[in-house]
Amino acid sequence: MSAHSFIDSDLLSRLGSLPIESRVPMMGNVAGKHRSPHRGSSVEFAEYRKYVPGDDTRRLDWKAFARSDRFYIKEFEADTNLRAYFVIDASGSMNFHGPGLESKIQYARRIAASLAYLLVNQGDAAGLSICTDKLHLEVPPSRRAAHLERFFTTIEKVEPSGETGLIPALHTIAEKIGQRAFIVILSDFFTDTAELADALQHLRYRKHDISLFHLMDPQEIGFNFDRPHRFVDLEDNTALVVEPNLIADEYHTALNEFLKNVRDKAHDANADYQLVTTDTPLEPLLREFLTARLPKAKH
Amino acid sequence: MTFLSPLLLWFLAAASVPVIIHLLNKRRHKTLQWAAMQFLLKATRESRGKKKLRHILILTCRTLGLAALAFAAARPIVSGLLGWGAGTIDTVVLILDRSASMELRSGDGEDAKRELVLRKIREAMSNIGSPRLVVIDSASGKPQEIPSPDVLGQISATAATDSTANVPTLLASAADVLTKSTGRSEIWLASDLQRSNWRPDDDRWAALRANLQSLPEKPAIRILSISGDSAANTSLRLLNTRRTIDGLILNLELNRSKDNRGSIGLPVTTQINGASQNELITLPGQSLRFQKRIPIKLEDESGHGWLSIPADGNPRDNSVFFAYGPARPIKSIIVSESNEAANYLSLAAAPPNFEKQTVTRIEPGAFAATSTSELSLILWAAPLPTGESAKTLQNFLSSGGQVVLLPSPKSAATEAFLETQWEPISTSASGKFFILKDWERADGPLRDGVDGSPIPAERLRAIKRAIPKSDAAVLAKWEDGEPFITRKIVDKGTLWTIGSIPDYTWSNLGDADVLLPAVQRILALGAERFDASFLAEVGSDSAMLAPSETRTRVDDYSKENSDHVAGVFRLGNRLTAVNRPLAEDELETTTKDSLDAMLEGTDYRLLDQAGQTSDPSLSTHIWRAFLVAMLFFLISEALLCMPKENSVTTTTPQHGGAPSAT
Repeated sequence: MSAHSFIDSDLLSRLGSLPIESRVPMMGNVAGKHRSPHRGSSVEFAEYRKYVPGDDTRRLDWKAFARSDRFYIKEFEADTNLRAYFVIDASGSMNFHGPGLESKIQYARRIAASLAYLLVNQGDAAGLSICTDKLHLEVPPSRRAAHLERFFTTIEKVEPSGETGLIPALHTIAEKIGQRAFIVILSDFFTDTAELADALQHLRYRKHDISLFHLMDPQEIGFNFDRPHRFVDLEDNTALVVEPNLIADEYHTALNEFLKNVRDKAHDANADYQLVTTDTPLEPLLREFLTARLPKAKH
Repeated sequence: MTFLSPLLLWFLAAASVPVIIHLLNKRRHKTLQWAAMQFLLKATRESRGKKKLRHILILTCRTLGLAALAFAAARPIVSGLLGWGAGTIDTVVLILDRSASMELRSGDGEDAKRELVLRKIREAMSNIGSPRLVVIDSASGKPQEIPSPDVLGQISATAATDSTANVPTLLASAADVLTKSTGRSEIWLASDLQRSNWRPDDDRWAALRANLQSLPEKPAIRILSISGDSAANTSLRLLNTRRTIDGLILNLELNRSKDNRGSIGLPVTTQINGASQNELITLPGQSLRFQKRIPIKLEDESGHGWLSIPADGNPRDNSVFFAYGPARPIKSIIVSESNEAANYLSLAAAPPNFEKQTVTRIEPGAFAATSTSELSLILWAAPLPTGESAKTLQNFLSSGGQVVLLPSPKSAATEAFLETQWEPISTSASGKFFILKDWERADGPLRDGVDGSPIPAERLRAIKRAIPKSDAAVLAKWEDGEPFITRKIVDKGTLWTIGSIPDYTWSNLGDADVLLPAVQRILALGAERFDASFLAEVGSDSAMLAPSETRTRVDDYSKENSDHVAGVFRLGNRLTAVNRPLAEDELETTTKDSLDAMLEGTDYRLLDQAGQTSDPSLSTHIWRAFLVAMLFFLISEALLCMPKENSVTTTTPQHGGAPSAT
């Protein structure tokens, strides 16, 4: 496990006590610790309903019958497992890193690997989808511990390049995954925000639990340069020579507008949104993320 | 503008440093792989315009700041005389107006215009490194090289005079000097722009302009004029003098500067042959012409004296000088046949009780043999002279005599004398008259009296007239615009024409309203040729020494003794009262338009020091101004470089949070 540079075993052991909860009922194929929309055999009481012929008479509440002379069926919550899909944007822009910092793709690897490990460790399934405009790699979700190695190897091998293929990938995932799942998207979202909104709405329509990790480099946000630079696009190699001091205000305005747009679109799709800069320590980030997902009643 | 340390101007090259750094910086860009390209492109599109302008302004401020520092270090001097574009000058030709009007002071205790301008020029000359200086003063008109500008105020060529100035002549002299000089030259002309000095109507201006433009290196002309407020001034001038048997009649004029109002009493001191007297003359307005009669004993053969008024703004125009010789009879002749007109003319030329005036009538044929040396006036009422008569008459005119031509019933249209002819005699329509309509009220024989009362010339009625045809000046016109009286200057004398005769078949000219004053005034002019030999204007030929003559000042008004000052002098055997030219008292100045016309095509600049008479400096050290400018540019640059308060930044988000714009 520690053979991969993006795995921090100490961090995982510290976070191991925090469960990853789904915010929506899941429809797993095996019993698990997550709520299901179906009634099941867990100890968690759900509701009473009137008996109809054909119901299992073992589930009649005899005490209620004794009190009310009516037949009631006592229903319990069904617990099932969670299937998570990690969608990693592997476009060229994800390769950017400011001085002394790791790239966005590396940061995405760490998040995805850590969460996948925690999920599998608690008996849930973790799958992977890596997308560019030319490539769409998928690792189907699995609960097996051996599966994690394949997961890690895949994200380790991915090399960001080309333009983003995030939007088609999200639509594909929305279409392909029949059952409710936990979709974690890791990207800088340098794409058309309207199209992103459509894709998120598509996922929401399929009743998936969506989380967005918006990865940005501090240099992209600060844009502090003291001399002219020739900026070369990581995705299509177009170059532009500018005096950063002269355009800093306009740059920040455009960036802020973009960040707000992405956040608003995520909110509209009822998705979790985390704007993360790559200089942020991972542990507090994940701890806060996991804590925020815990059901309020359990606090 | 010139510089005391011109070598430091090389530091001006430093002004290009910000631009060079900017260009180098643009070339020395760093290449960076960048992800957020979409924001860069958008920002670049939107930042054009204001930002670019701001950046250019910053660069400009830096450049100008350094340039201002370099200029300040070079110790610049701005000179009104030199102008901003001036560089090194090799020769300055200074034309100095030393005329009497240049002695006008700007206020009590202030310097005269001449002194003020000399001081300014002295300072300007030393500031520009004292190039070769040639002075042409208006009194002598001769170029004189001055070794140092420091002595400008001490040499006789710049001293005060009572002379006038002839600017075209002086400029021509300057052009002559410049033909012999090499290097860059300038003509500095210090003048009060008095119109009579500049003579805008002088025919020589065109030739002078051509002369200046034909010089190998066209000189710049800097005209330094001192105008502005001046001290209250009154001038006294002598128009003419006339010796009678027992007295001397002085026609005088007092003029006050324009801003003086109201009536004042002015004490006038008269001194004749050492005896003084004072009297108070009331000056009711700005100008007063008056006649002063000084009694002289019949046996007095000659004498001299002066009149003066108290000191005021211009000390040079407060006195006039006169001299006189023995009393002479005033003789006239009438060249005419014996007729009514001749009788009237006789009465006009020698009225009863005017014992000193005599008149004789002669036949036209006898004129050639008549001596004219004692005559003041010849009234010619006969066919125009020809042959010997014409020659004698012309000689009389040349020697200063006055001739009045009147038509004769026998005049023929083909006759001519000095290009003057009579048109055929014309007769007015039945029951109508030729009426005198328009005449010169300030000049000529029909001018208003010294008290302002006009000649009643409109009473003149004529049924016959002859129109004089010549190029003479018309002084009176008939109702239909045809000339009645004309005047033509012939050498020292004057040829007059009067277009009708005092004959009842011609006109009522004999009624004395017109004829008597006209003839008496012309006669007075004629008599002046005898008295005029005792009067001269400063700078005129008669005020100059003839060969073998010596100059001795005989009056006690002042000790000054030179060709260019007023006073009573004995020039050899001649006794001459020399006064400043009358034109010097005229207040009219040359306008800018007139200057433009006179100096068209030359590089001239008018520097009017109006209101700056208390500041004697023509050139100023202005390095402080450049330092202030540098500070201004650097502060501006700093302000432009300061980040705007509402500039947009993006804060780094806390994990899990979104950034916020500030």
